[in-house]
Formats: sequence, structure tokens, C-alpha cells
Amino acid sequence: MMDDLERQLGDALGRKEPSAGFEHRVLAAVERSKKRPWFSPRFQWAAAIAASLVMIAGVVRYREAEERAAGEAAKLKLELALKITSEKLQKIQDRVNQGNQE
Amino acid sequence: MKISTIAMACLALLPALSAQELKLPANLEKLGDRAREVVDVTLDGPLLQLAARFLSDKDPDEARAKKLVSGLKGIYVRSFTFDNRGEYDPADLEPLRAQLKSPGWSRIVGVRSRRDDNAEVYIKSEGDKIAGLAVIAAEPKELTVVQIVGPIQPEDLRDLGGRFGIPKVDLGKKNAKED
Amino acid sequence: MSTPFAELVREHQSMVFSIAYHFLRDRTVAEEIAQDVFLKLFRNLDSLESPAHVTFWLRRVTVHRAVDYARKRQRRPEIALEDTAELRDRHETGDPMLNRRLQALVQSLPEKPRSVMILRYQEDLMPEEIARILDMPVRTVKSHLHRSLAMLREKMERSMGGSR
Repeated sequence: MMDDLERQLGDALGRKEPSAGFEHRVLAAVERSKKRPWFSPRFQWAAAIAASLVMIAGVVRYREAEERAAGEAAKLKLELALKITSEKLQKIQDRVNQGNQE
Repeated sequence: MKISTIAMACLALLPALSAQELKLPANLEKLGDRAREVVDVTLDGPLLQLAARFLSDKDPDEARAKKLVSGLKGIYVRSFTFDNRGEYDPADLEPLRAQLKSPGWSRIVGVRSRRDDNAEVYIKSEGDKIAGLAVIAAEPKELTVVQIVGPIQPEDLRDLGGRFGIPKVDLGKKNAKED
Repeated sequence: MSTPFAELVREHQSMVFSIAYHFLRDRTVAEEIAQDVFLKLFRNLDSLESPAHVTFWLRRVTVHRAVDYARKRQRRPEIALEDTAELRDRHETGDPMLNRRLQALVQSLPEKPRSVMILRYQEDLMPEEIARILDMPVRTVKSHLHRSLAMLREKMERSMGGSR
């Protein structure tokens, strides 16, 4: 059952009319949109698909670039690690050889 | 005069039992604050394999390195360079050496010089295979620890004599030298 | 749907505009939203199967648009002129002062209960229909209605008590 407040809400939230000429403005906007193919659903679908493809390609390229950068960085680290290891082992080897000669 | 003292200096790879990384003692970790230069390379699992993928198959040196690395599980290098002598306490290396006394590990080279240049090389054996290598190189102004986890043969390192400057080391027999 | 589009606009403009208006209390913005909703309707007309479907679709899309706008406005606050402007309707019933007070209170509700209240009292919809439009369980709709009414009642009583 509706009480007073609900009845008052019904009054307060009653439908209102937009300003005069609203319908005309909507129809004019629709006419304008017809002249712009990018507003048509078909064009929008095509555009969305194209945009998705571009985005996917971009993501793939970005990932590849990212992986390449990470790979190159890892390679540099590996080279550094092997260089340091080799230097230390060389030094140890020299010392061992020196000792054997004495 | 024959000098003899084995001072070691290398801590390197502690490929513990199941190819785990050696734990660097906390005191050594803190050396980075005092060092002029710190090299910290941690290449394990996927990162190591990623690095390997970027080594060329056409370049003979890189191809050999690639082959070597492809079977490895990890490479860890810590190197600290100091401005002055005495910036680290050699006793700080003891916890690391203790780890290298665990079963499977054996020291194959120990070198100590009068100039306090000490080095040690350890290998980790699993059956008749080498499953890891560790190097501790402790010099007056530089301390380096290397650990390589995974199957590695001294010959593999020897083969890398080109681009990476890996020496032709013969670590096949045990040596313990004192200058 | 074979109804001429102009007829659809004429038939539904007051519903669409009023949902947006009661949500935002800004006449200019409500008209912009209503126009956008009709443009969208025009582009989607082929997918709507019946007049009832059109009505359902318009209510749903309008609420979403109004909510989106309110969120954007929250991030970038603007001054809504409508609070001070008169919006009288030829068919307005009841006490205009009381109506404005209630509209302001409804507009102060969070977006979900506000949408529920507008659909309930502007469109006179049952909780089940509101639940379908807003994609929420019926019991949630009922709970929003119950709590919002309690809150409005309390505020109205307090303000009436204070005005005595």
C-alpha cells in the first residue's frame, strides 16, 4: 500500500518534458549522423574490428620488443657473468701453474 | 720460498643439493654499501634460457656458450670492488664455506698468496657427474663469489676461450697450492 | 521494428529525459543524454524486437548513461545550475516546494538506490521489472527501496520538525 511519502514521491518524480524542439533536434542529429558513415553500426563494427587488429598487432609487437630488450639485457648479464668467472678462473689457473713450476 | 697458505677467495657457486642457490651470508650482502662497485648477476631458470636464446648460433663462441648454458639451471655472480684494503672481514666468508662442506661438494683448488690473494674452486658432484661449480676469489680490494648450478664440465669452460675470455683451465684434477 | 523513428522519439522523450533529469537534476545535461540515447536507439533499432523491448532498452541505456555522467562529474565537479533554476511542468502535481525537496533528496542518494527510486516512482515499475533493467537481484531492489524510503522519511520529518 502506498503511503503519503510514496504518493509525494510519485508527484515529485513525475515525468517532465524536455524543452521545446527536442524532437526536432534529435531528428536533425540523426540526419547528420546518416551523412557520417562512421556513425553507422556497420562502419562502427568494421572500425572496432580494425582497431582491435591494430591493437593486437601493437601488443604483439610491443611484447616482441619487450622480450627482445629483456633477452638482450639477459645476454649482457650472461656475458658479464661468464667474463668475471673466466677472469677469476684464469687467475687461479695462473697461480696453480706458477706453483707447479716452483 | 714456497709459500703456502691457502687463502681462498672464491665463493661461488653453491649449487647445493638440488641445484639450489647458495645463501650469501648477510655480512657479505651488506658489503654493497661500502663497495665502490658491485656486480650482482642472477640468472636463473627462464631468464638464463632467455639469455641463451639470444646467443647466436652462427657465432662459434656464442654457439659454444649457448650449448654450455642450455643445460644450466642458474648462474649467480656477486663481485664487490673496494677503494681500500680491509673493507671486508675474511671471516665473513666462513658461513659460505660451511655450506660448501655439505655432502657432494669438494674443493678442487685452493690458492693463498702472501699478498692476500686467496681463491678457491669447488665442484658439486652427483654420482659421477658435476652438478655445479663455485668460486670464491678474495683479493684485498675485491671479493667475488660465483655459483653455477647445473651440469658443467671444466672442458665446457675451456671451450669458451674466445669471446668471453674463458681461460683454458684444467680443473679436472684436484689441486691445493700454497705460494 | 517498423514504428517510424520520429514517433518513437515523441512517445519516449519525456521518459528518457525525466530519468536523466531526476538522476542529475541538470536540464541541459539531461537533454544531451536523452539526445545521445535516441541516437543510439536509431543505430540499434534493427536489434530491438518489440515496443516493449524498446521501452526496456531506453530505460536501461538512459540509466547507464546518467550513471556514467554522474561518475565523470564526480571526478571533475561542475556546478549544476538546475538546483537554482525552476523546472516547472505544465502537469506538475502536488506541492512544488515539497517536490523540489524530494527531488533533491533522491538526487543525494548513491547511484544504485537513486536509479531504483527513479524507476519505481517515475516509471511506476515493480521491483521485478527494476531488477531486470538494472541487472540486480529483486531482493536488492527491495532493500534499496526500503532503506531509501526510510532515509527520506527521516529527513523529511526532521526538516518538517525543524521548520515548525
